[in-house]
Amino acid sequence: MPAQYLIIISALVITVCNVIQAAPLDFNRDIRPILSDKCIGCHGPEEESREADLRFDQLETALEDRGGYAVIKPGDPENSEMMTRILSDDEDLQMPPHHAQKELTEQDIAKLKQWIEEGANWEPHWAYVAPKAVSIPEVSNPDWCDNLIDSFVMQELDQQKLTPAADADSITLLRRLCFDLTGLPPTPEMAKQFLNDSSESAHCKLIDQLLGLPHFGERMAMYWLDLVRYADTVGYHGDQDHSISPYRDWVINAFNENMPFDQFTREQLAGDLLENRDVDNLIASGYNRLLQTTHEGGLQQKEYLAIYAADRVRNVSEVWMGATMGCAQCHSHKYDPYTITDFYSMAAFFADLDEAKHFTNGGNSLPTRREPELAVLSPSQREERQQVEQHIQELNREILPALISGDEQTSQLLKQFTSAESELKAIEKSKRLTMISASIKPREMRVLPRGNWQDDSGPIVQSAIPEFLGSLDTPERATRLDLANWLVDAENGSGLLTARVFVNRLWSLMFGHGLADLNDFGGQGSPPTHPELLDQLAIEFVNSGWDIKHMMKLMASSHTYRQQSLSNTQLDEIDPENKLYARQSRFRLPAEMIRDNALAISGLLVNESGGRSIKPYQPAGYYRHLNFPTRKYTSDTNQQQWRRGVYMHWQRQFLHPMLKAFDAPSREECTAERPRSNTPLAALTLLNDPTFIEAARCLAERILIEGGDEEQSQLNFAFQLTLSRQPDELEQEMLLGLLDDQFQYYQTNSKDAEKLLSVGLKKANTTLSQNQLAAWTQVARVLLNLSEVTTRN
Amino acid sequence: MSFDYQFATHLNRRTFLSQSGVGLGAAAFSNLLNHETQASTAQKQSQQPHFPPRVKRVIFLCMAGGPSHLETFDYKPELERLSGQPMPASITAGQPIAQLQGQELIAQGPLTKFQKYGEGGLEVSDYLPWHAKMADDICVLKSMHTEQINHDPAHTFMNTGTVISGRPSMGSWITYGLGSETQELPGFVVMSSVGGRNPQPIASRQWGAGFLPSRFQGVEFNSSGDPVYYVKPPGGISNSQQGRIVETIRQLDQHRQKTVQNPELETRLSAYEMAFRMQTSVPDLVDMSNEPKHILDMYGAKPGDGSFASNCLLARRLAERGVRFIHLYHRGWDHHGGLDKYMKICCGLTDQPTYALIQDLKQRGMLEETLVIWGGEFGRTPMFQGKGGVGRDHHIKGFSMWMAGGGIKGGTSHGNTDEFGYHAVEKPTHVRDMHATMLHMLGLDHRQLYYQHQGLDMRLTGVEEPHVLGDILG
Repeated sequence: MPAQYLIIISALVITVCNVIQAAPLDFNRDIRPILSDKCIGCHGPEEESREADLRFDQLETALEDRGGYAVIKPGDPENSEMMTRILSDDEDLQMPPHHAQKELTEQDIAKLKQWIEEGANWEPHWAYVAPKAVSIPEVSNPDWCDNLIDSFVMQELDQQKLTPAADADSITLLRRLCFDLTGLPPTPEMAKQFLNDSSESAHCKLIDQLLGLPHFGERMAMYWLDLVRYADTVGYHGDQDHSISPYRDWVINAFNENMPFDQFTREQLAGDLLENRDVDNLIASGYNRLLQTTHEGGLQQKEYLAIYAADRVRNVSEVWMGATMGCAQCHSHKYDPYTITDFYSMAAFFADLDEAKHFTNGGNSLPTRREPELAVLSPSQREERQQVEQHIQELNREILPALISGDEQTSQLLKQFTSAESELKAIEKSKRLTMISASIKPREMRVLPRGNWQDDSGPIVQSAIPEFLGSLDTPERATRLDLANWLVDAENGSGLLTARVFVNRLWSLMFGHGLADLNDFGGQGSPPTHPELLDQLAIEFVNSGWDIKHMMKLMASSHTYRQQSLSNTQLDEIDPENKLYARQSRFRLPAEMIRDNALAISGLLVNESGGRSIKPYQPAGYYRHLNFPTRKYTSDTNQQQWRRGVYMHWQRQFLHPMLKAFDAPSREECTAERPRSNTPLAALTLLNDPTFIEAARCLAERILIEGGDEEQSQLNFAFQLTLSRQPDELEQEMLLGLLDDQFQYYQTNSKDAEKLLSVGLKKANTTLSQNQLAAWTQVARVLLNLSEVTTRN
Repeated sequence: MSFDYQFATHLNRRTFLSQSGVGLGAAAFSNLLNHETQASTAQKQSQQPHFPPRVKRVIFLCMAGGPSHLETFDYKPELERLSGQPMPASITAGQPIAQLQGQELIAQGPLTKFQKYGEGGLEVSDYLPWHAKMADDICVLKSMHTEQINHDPAHTFMNTGTVISGRPSMGSWITYGLGSETQELPGFVVMSSVGGRNPQPIASRQWGAGFLPSRFQGVEFNSSGDPVYYVKPPGGISNSQQGRIVETIRQLDQHRQKTVQNPELETRLSAYEMAFRMQTSVPDLVDMSNEPKHILDMYGAKPGDGSFASNCLLARRLAERGVRFIHLYHRGWDHHGGLDKYMKICCGLTDQPTYALIQDLKQRGMLEETLVIWGGEFGRTPMFQGKGGVGRDHHIKGFSMWMAGGGIKGGTSHGNTDEFGYHAVEKPTHVRDMHATMLHMLGLDHRQLYYQHQGLDMRLTGVEEPHVLGDILG
């Protein structure tokens, strides 16, 4: 790897020096995507479908002499067969052929022509070139730049003759930071503190405060759990519950404790293989068990072992490498240098996992069995247990002498002893099972031709990293731990690639989308808009010791982050998708945050961390298609009802309709980027789901109790809670008008008020006028449905 | 098929909206339909067919669990002769097998008689007397084969063309390709009924939109409780009150829009508007009080009973309202044992309603513009399985489905299995061929219907080239 990188870097330096033109072509940005999308399907790395011995994932075959002509003659587009074919009217000669449905645009053709004219410079694919440190660029307005992010962003803006947007107002900024870093709205106290602090450091203080809250881990876990496809059920067939919630809590804790990302990686892929491993390492190793499994009657074990192997390769390559290796399951990748052998060699890393037991042991109970599993306590429960045990020991020491001496304290001590004992028992009883990794003799792994599990004709492979990325030098079979170490080894492994992939994901949490394609760092993914910035962030991440909070703070404290999101006509024209960051992005909150926000505003939110998954209200009959066993969903009848979305029971086959309506994924596969839709089903959910009706009513109670005596001050209070601002005149007029009308209605229809107020587990506050409360509930429903409330701005 | 025309007629029907003053411009509606919410590469399907379509919509009758082709449409005298004897090893060697793994493979002859019906002389078993009456309406695909032998992945394969989760289902592909003809209901609706042997589970991924925008996902309609989840306002809130709420949300959002200029807002407001309309259109849809008795009797439907019969009638009503893809599941066809008993139950519940649906569509002139597809996720083994009486195991190498409507040649069959009903030998028809044919009927070229995901042009029909079943098209 390092030697390879060196060559690549020197090649880069040369090409960088070559480019002096006004609008210089960048091979990776301008040319590679065209070749990849339009040509490589038939002229690429995959041998079977390669035509004319020509490939455009490298230059050699295009340059070679083909009996008096060459596909590409650098500097001479007129005599390059490529251009002749592209420009030909003859259907038999035309490239790309009509049937491929890969027409080139005029812009594409112009670019290719210019590229050949300029000498057909070739650069290796950006993702496989090591990031290199470059100096901070000079920009038109250095005063605007607070850290390195801003300089690189401004460099691009300068090129496009754009200027950054004005700073967001402090209310918007406050809300943005709170949602981005904790997934929750600001508390009124937090808002007051921030909005009254005019010092320069206010912004940084707030970031530090938010990064220190336990909600930070919950927010980060929301995203990580999408990537690793964490769910509470097995996914296939009967979709029974399986035991895994301690893994979710481990992820939350890891983010909160700011566990370095390299360690975070090792513990998940190979926690069971670590020296002196502890129970937390084992819980973390549950990562390898997160995939969908089945024990459906009539399954063919060999088939499912092949399905599982492929599932793991897809996930590990997507999460850590930004690679779509899944394509290489049946044939070598069409666009990227991953071969079918690479695919099965990667699968071989996981061939030691003890997992076949469930084919026979897994039953239709809830949860079903998925050995190996371990009964565990949470870290705080373990601490508690230690204290109780210590207490018991102390009591033991005291009881015997007390008994002998006939001390009158004896009975007191015995009582204490009994209660401590039962406390200990209760703690032991609260243990939760969790699936873990256990290593056994690795099963044989073969290349499956065309992915066919019944075909044993393929060669046997050993665990290995993709060949074009080098090889692992291990004395014995390379293990999952070797793989994990390689993934985070920035010097001799693919650590810098991993760093790039992960900082790109962090960036998307703070700016709405990635600097590069979140799903695909390969030839078909959109290349980075700011390659140098991505590189500097990756290097910074590694140099900081894989410090996630450091990276989040770096982004949050940049000037780029602080911009307002407002666009303008010019900007809409040049950069509709905000790839240049001449403003902040604006997007609908993710599903969990929509829930959390409503619960927080209404005062219902229960801030408890970890534990079994929770079950909010859900329409009756929603699980009626499930069987083995038939499923009856019982929503929680205690305060579990009002906990955060990250703890919700994740039923893969029937994800809670609220989560689903707001685009949360089923977590059957890796999700690096959720869609953000606006559908009628989402509107119906926010309007009618009992969770939101109850939240609206509790918000109304708060308004009546805490908002003063006047309708005016009550509405102000409501706005402060939901939007951190005051209503304007029109808003007042409309909402107080609504309030008045609704109040009139419920005065004459108080039965209806009763019905509305009875929604939800929480009993309505009967000391308040019920008709007034119902009317305010309606106003609160409007507030919870406002676009401003569900949008991160 | 003129979209603008449909759109205009629907605009006129928005009665509530004109009364209450809630109303968005046409632009907002087309936004809802065409606007890509996600800031990804602009992937726009024109929502126009690629060539003149034969049908406007599909009603897919999924007989979940895998009905036996050997007791429905595929009569095998040779299997009857061999009944009770070992299956020839040449037929079964090296073949995938489900619950019969490790067991002796004994041939099991058909449990009932077959007769030829209609002008085409199509063979139909005695379990399906109503099908027999409409033999000239249907074309049986006798040489179907699939790749997945367990229920869950086999459904996934039938619906999405692959076994990997997270891919769009056919209904999503089709609404993505053609858009919807209704502004009041979702374009892709799913309903289910039960009866027969212990029903196999069905995952919601079977109607998922996968990587396509969420608005193309199938929406489940329920036979009891709220017809659509959350479609009813909470207790104590009348429709007009709810209208007032939606109206206030709109006005406040639009007011705030002057400051924030959120380009997503129009889409959001349209979604709220359609949500509100669904609060009346959905109850209106399921209210069958205006269906005459003879129609109810024809289906054997008792409104609200959640039966396949009621769902068939609802399917017709959905078709009338412009829903593009209507997917009905009847779960109960997994007959590892008790084959005779459960065939009687399943056929008893589905045979007549299926007949009624076809006849009802026909008498309304709608069969010409509707493709009806019937079939399970796979068929059943020619071999005996004895899980509680004579039964059959899962079978993927040859099974039957049928198509009707849109000029499909009724009274005929396509392809054939071998003399034991094991392998599809004559004109083998893969699931992707069925998909390609269905798309073709809708005026969609399977090659041109794609979506870029993870750098690949993804298609319902996958990477292998499918074949449109040209010989069954009228």
